Amino acid sequence: MKRVVIDPVTRIEGHLRVETQLEDGVVTDARCSGDMFRGIEKALIGYDARVAQQVTQRICGVCPYGHAEAAALALEQAMGLQPNENGQLLRNLIVGAYQLHDHLLHFYVLSALDFIDITAILNYRGNDAGLTTLRSWVKSELDSGKIFPAAPFLPRYEGAYAEDLELNISAIKGYLSALPIMADLHKMVAVFGAKAPHPVAIEAGGVTTLPTVDRLNQYKTWLNRAAHFIRNQYRNDLLGVAGAFPTYFNEGKGPGNFLSFPYFPDASGEQHALVGGATLGGKYQALDLSRITEDHAYSWYKDEPSSGIKPLQSTTLQPLNLAEYQREIARDGGKYSWSRAPRYGGEVMEVGPTARVINTYRSGTHADFNRQVDAVNRDLNIGLNEYDSVMGRHLSRLLCTLRILDRLETQVEQVQPDKSAFIERDMPKNARGFGITEATRGALGHWIETDEKGYIRNYELIVPTTWNMSPRDAAGKPGAVEQMLIGTQVADPAQPLELTRIVRSSDPCMACSVH
Amino acid sequence: MLEKITRREALKRIYGAIVATGAASFLSFEDLLAADATTDKRLNLIWLHGSSCSGCSCSFLDIEYVPVLDILSKFTNVIFHPDLSLATGDQVTGMLEHVMGSNLDFLLVVEGSIPVGMPHACLMGHKPFVEWAVPMAKRATACVAAGTCATFGGVTRMNGMQTGIQTLPELLVAQEIDKPLVCLPGCPMKPEHIVYTLLHYAMKGTLPPLDSQQRPLRFFGNTIHERCIYYADFQEKHYARHIGDSGCLINLGCQGVVTHNDCLINGHNNNTSSCIRAGHPCVGCASEHFPRQIMLHSHDDPRVNKRKF
Repeated sequence: MKRVVIDPVTRIEGHLRVETQLEDGVVTDARCSGDMFRGIEKALIGYDARVAQQVTQRICGVCPYGHAEAAALALEQAMGLQPNENGQLLRNLIVGAYQLHDHLLHFYVLSALDFIDITAILNYRGNDAGLTTLRSWVKSELDSGKIFPAAPFLPRYEGAYAEDLELNISAIKGYLSALPIMADLHKMVAVFGAKAPHPVAIEAGGVTTLPTVDRLNQYKTWLNRAAHFIRNQYRNDLLGVAGAFPTYFNEGKGPGNFLSFPYFPDASGEQHALVGGATLGGKYQALDLSRITEDHAYSWYKDEPSSGIKPLQSTTLQPLNLAEYQREIARDGGKYSWSRAPRYGGEVMEVGPTARVINTYRSGTHADFNRQVDAVNRDLNIGLNEYDSVMGRHLSRLLCTLRILDRLETQVEQVQPDKSAFIERDMPKNARGFGITEATRGALGHWIETDEKGYIRNYELIVPTTWNMSPRDAAGKPGAVEQMLIGTQVADPAQPLELTRIVRSSDPCMACSVH
Repeated sequence: MLEKITRREALKRIYGAIVATGAASFLSFEDLLAADATTDKRLNLIWLHGSSCSGCSCSFLDIEYVPVLDILSKFTNVIFHPDLSLATGDQVTGMLEHVMGSNLDFLLVVEGSIPVGMPHACLMGHKPFVEWAVPMAKRATACVAAGTCATFGGVTRMNGMQTGIQTLPELLVAQEIDKPLVCLPGCPMKPEHIVYTLLHYAMKGTLPPLDSQQRPLRFFGNTIHERCIYYADFQEKHYARHIGDSGCLINLGCQGVVTHNDCLINGHNNNTSSCIRAGHPCVGCASEHFPRQIMLHSHDDPRVNKRKF
């Protein structure tokens, strides 16, 4: 029995510790610890209901837009309000652009260099300005005798990286070219949302920005540039990595249950581009929010009961003090994470792009999408079952990116210039509402309850990475990523590259997870 | 020879960008050539995440005046950044421990606040973050508080928080660590603010001129209000009553009067927009009061005590 610990896991959002047990090089047990607690959800009590939008998006600087949208939706439901068409469209243009940004960030900055060999740049023979700069810099660093040459790109876990020079160079070029495209996508967020990260202009009632013709055309210019990059460079690099690592369609299999919320509606708030629902045991079923509960039997909180808690059931979430925490981590089978364990009818669910693809496909409601998935599957010689894997998650991100990109191109043309996108309402008193959407990383839900003056009486968030990175529940069932890790063969326990590839394939956002 | 000319041309373009950021006053083209020739002047940088959301890191990657690759390869030597480093696990803790035992000059960037009341509320390498932050700050040549959480506490210090955070300036005082410190509030911090600060430090060896709260005067010398597009409306007592009205947004909750930042001069995302240009009152994200109990309200909201102007 060998213990392998990865702490901290870098190139994710936030603070994550992964601890595994290996027998004959195979992971037999895994524990994922969310290592940062703030307690924003219950701290919101007493703040104005609109503050939830501004504060919950500060839970995460990578995917703030999802929280802004979910908080606005929850408050709109409490108000009994539906934004006008411009409000819905502008909100879509903000969150859609942000998702494209996030998917590029995840692929190039956070995860591609788990597969792509950055040192291949030394063999580059072309004359691209960025690549030659990178080559001479890496070379001079490696020749310098410095203690940490070529940081932050080295050191890394050594292992079986891609060998194809053309693929390596293309993806490295993609990394460098993605950064300005990502800045453009953030500008698309900012032109209607005011800024990125943390777009303030998404409010219950729509979006405060007036969609003037110049703003709309700025957006279109950036969208064109991003679309070209996504449909060519990103698509080729991602499919190139998928082609170079076919065995990763069999690695990192999760619980096999998938949960997603309806995402990206049309101008009237209906006809979502990706459907909500749950796939359990290979069967798709309609979404039933009443089946969602949370446990903290293995999380560092002391409230009782510690399992089966429904959203808004409790107004407190009491963290363990230092002595209690130390007792728990010293105890065999003790609590080990700040993240809680959400469950759907008691089941462990994977959320994220794969869940969006599988549920949309299995619902059979979007024939165009199914045709697209079938075509990709034929090219890669895979089936829907292979989406439950490291590479399946990356591939699902590409499919979701392309689908949202199509919708953005359509919807930007539907905005009526110079017409307000915002409807004002008083704060609802003694009201409840929920808002559900898909953040980049998966199904996101906010629940709000207001008091007699319109301040927050209670607030609840169940966030994508809370699902994926959950610790064990009261029944002892490991969380989704823990299940992905178990059964994995690790070639060199001192360089557990296989494990970080699995963890990063779920695109963890630990700040969101714990909130 | 040919390559040398190309290189010089490339540097000229970079220098054009530096002029655009306003950094030319302390960095001549000859300085840049010299810096390009010798990598020794590169600033060692270690970036750590405390109680944070990575928003300031994401914002940093949006810098457009100077390419990120040039920041990584020419002006700084990013020994560690949690979102960029390929190093992970023991490699990270090993690097940091090596640095703590060395005499390396480096600049420490702390994004987020530091929970000290509940030290186990932020952990790295199975140790409370504060146990990394203190020795690293003691070893650093200078410190940067990146963002509002690191500077004032921000959302990590809202009412009802139990983690007992300290900001980076508070931690330095409490631990009697006397180091040059620059604070770059903003939720998120603006990329231009940190890049200017890094360039200044790399090229001149000092931090830019600061105000009493260690913020660069260049960016934080004025309030949002003083540079507002609606300043004339304010003087004429022309106030917006609803979102979408023209006029000063102060009666809808605008925090521009108490918030120091340069958003109306240097808007967000390469001057694409600002909250006020987007029709939304300033929420005061760079101020010590953030987050307020009410941030956006109707002009006749009975819960709000109206200021009389």
